[in-house]
Amino acid sequence: MFWVVTANFTEDGAVAYRRSDGTWARALAEAGLLDSEAIAKELATTATQREQREISDAYPIQIDVENGVILAQSARERIRANGPTIRVRRPD
Amino acid sequence: MYQYDDYDRRIITERAQQFRGQVTRRLSGEITEDEFKPLRLQNGLYRQLHAYMLRVAVPYGLLSSTQVRKLAHIARTYDRGYGHFTTRQNIQYNWPKLTDVPTILDELASVEMHAVQTSGNCVRNITADHFAGIARDELEDPRPYCEILRQWSTFHPEFAHLPRKFKIAVTGTPGEDRAAVRFHDIGLRIVENARGERGFEVLVGGGMGRTPIIGEVVREFLPKKHFLSYIDSILRVYNLHGRRDNKYKARIKILVAALGIDEFRRRVEEDWEASRTPELELPDAEIARVAAFFAPPAYESLPASDPTRIVLGKDRELGNWVRNNVVAHKVPGYSAVIISVKQKGTPPGDVSDTQMDAIAGLADRFSFGHLVVTHTQNLVLTDVKTSELPALHAELRRIDLGEANANKITDIITCPGLDYCDLANARSIPLSLEISERFDRIDYLNDVGDVSIKISGCINACGHHHVGNIGILGIDKRGVEFYQLMLGGSPGNDASIGKILGRALAQDEIVDAVEKVLDRYLTIRESSDERFLDTVRRVGFDPFKVAVYGSADPLEAGAE
Amino acid sequence: MTQIIRDRAIVDDDFVHIADGAELSGKPIVSLARYIKERDSLRTLPALGVRVPPDKLPADIPDLGRLTLIALELTKFTEGRPYSVARMIRQRYGFKGELRAVGDVLRDDLRYLERCGFNAFELKQGKSLTSALEAFAELGPTYQADANEPLPIYRRR
Repeated sequence: MFWVVTANFTEDGAVAYRRSDGTWARALAEAGLLDSEAIAKELATTATQREQREISDAYPIQIDVENGVILAQSARERIRANGPTIRVRRPD
Repeated sequence: MYQYDDYDRRIITERAQQFRGQVTRRLSGEITEDEFKPLRLQNGLYRQLHAYMLRVAVPYGLLSSTQVRKLAHIARTYDRGYGHFTTRQNIQYNWPKLTDVPTILDELASVEMHAVQTSGNCVRNITADHFAGIARDELEDPRPYCEILRQWSTFHPEFAHLPRKFKIAVTGTPGEDRAAVRFHDIGLRIVENARGERGFEVLVGGGMGRTPIIGEVVREFLPKKHFLSYIDSILRVYNLHGRRDNKYKARIKILVAALGIDEFRRRVEEDWEASRTPELELPDAEIARVAAFFAPPAYESLPASDPTRIVLGKDRELGNWVRNNVVAHKVPGYSAVIISVKQKGTPPGDVSDTQMDAIAGLADRFSFGHLVVTHTQNLVLTDVKTSELPALHAELRRIDLGEANANKITDIITCPGLDYCDLANARSIPLSLEISERFDRIDYLNDVGDVSIKISGCINACGHHHVGNIGILGIDKRGVEFYQLMLGGSPGNDASIGKILGRALAQDEIVDAVEKVLDRYLTIRESSDERFLDTVRRVGFDPFKVAVYGSADPLEAGAE
Repeated sequence: MTQIIRDRAIVDDDFVHIADGAELSGKPIVSLARYIKERDSLRTLPALGVRVPPDKLPADIPDLGRLTLIALELTKFTEGRPYSVARMIRQRYGFKGELRAVGDVLRDDLRYLERCGFNAFELKQGKSLTSALEAFAELGPTYQADANEPLPIYRRR
């Protein structure tokens, strides 16, 4: 079982995933995998306190890895990872 | 419509400057996200799943064409080319950057708009009957009172940290409630007493959300001059005694239910006697000053003209549109037009920047430069010459807004749901798109008649599912989306709260279930004049349970 | 000495918060509970402040008019009751002494608090008082009557 730490970027609110080196990525594929929920929680709490300027409200999510691809488990986290399931006028 | 004076302008421009400072302090690290959150919320800035969301207030739903062009400009420049009209008569942008928001607020201020108190635990945007000022059955135009309330509520120092949000709606039409006043924290109905004086019937404690409750009368007749001081007292009793320990029990409806309406009334009256001063009385001159801004436009004197001729004409598409989307006007020769923002394949309430620009042009050409946002997520051109309906329809078709489905089953109210919303449990938009596609047959729509379908992606009920004739509520079962089907809700004078039909349905079952319910209605209605809601009220749920679940047995249907 | 904002100026705090059971010193601010218990001896002091939790109403504060200072606790910045209580203390009880906001007091609420009748503010620890002073000037005109302004906008326009 694996976890990753997610949050939102302060500047534009976009979804953020914590890389293994502690920096923040915009794609789930770049997230650093953690094999302990306790560590994921700890990293999320510390990030929320210390990295306020870059990200907000970090929390851990459980993920699956299939054929080397990271997949979020809940409908909510899948939509966060992939964007709205309906057409957005201008993808930007 | 209301025009800002120097006072109003300063208040709104200073607010925009203040927010710029708050954003700067957030980005510099001077304040934390926890501290910033209530500040941004009081300025309508949420953070959703993928981005920030800015909710712009449209006081009582009224917009000028200049404002609509500005909204289009903002959508184009700072967002992704569209805006979303909401059930609170507001507009939301789904993709603004925090760093752009102060500039967006400056842009809004330049056309007398703002995002003040569109979120947070404070008094929210004041809503009203979308046919205010033009309805044939209206006693008095509610908009002047809405504007007076807007000013009263803006930065009210005492009520910036209420136990929970607070929504007020006003109607001037006692005979038909198009503002759902019984489902607001305070609902105001302009009424006439036995002596022929105008005042307000004050309802309190209505609402949807987790605990749907129909509001009760706290005062049968409130003279206009005491309007604000009395509302102050209601808010004060709520601020002091509303629950703050549990956000799900913090709305005023829970306080009113806990105390009982009589004790609640006693406390309000007691506070009112202790707090009202002659200075707080609203002078007639002030009412007249504000009312003057809402004086009728320069209508031409036209012969009465019945649009039936168009309905029965050769152009069936136009005929259906006039039949379904055109509403009688109090002035002869004029009509009100509902622009359906329920286009096939597009999320309900979403309008692109180019459509907004085009609508602004149509408002200028056909309707004295104004339009109204409805709580059903449509737009209304209030003052169109009946003779110009065909020309207007042709223009609307050109911009894909000519759908003839007002009040029909594809005129669905939908919250943003899990595609955008941080609170949602399930998606709502894909469901409404699927329903629109399934029933995309005008003859079927006309046959089924007026049925409201309302979809919420969570218990907070932004999609008003409790008051849908057919309500759909998205729920989460261990990370999977499910939907509850409810029947029998109505927001109007015959207010009722829908009830759950049976067990929750999976995503691939729910649209079939809606179709089964509608088909059953068509076979059991007494005549084509019996509305869906009346049939449900007459026959109860059993025939519909059988239709959907194959059995009326509560175990089979699995009522939850 | 800690600093507070009083009447829109940064000043040294001449009052001292005294914990329940601790010995009195200086100009004390005691809890409402202690004040009620030891009222007979406390009322002889030349200056006395009382700290009031947010669930109390003005009627719960005996001899309110004889106090030098009333401190209303904002246990969280989202706690809205002290705003109403302050207005009642000023407008219905005619309290003329110092009305102080203590607890989770944030810069961006100062103007609202002042309009409700507070004239002194102990800011949350670590927050800049100088930055806070600027907050009073941020929103000039007002629509409503308040503790300092008896006239609503429609009698001032």
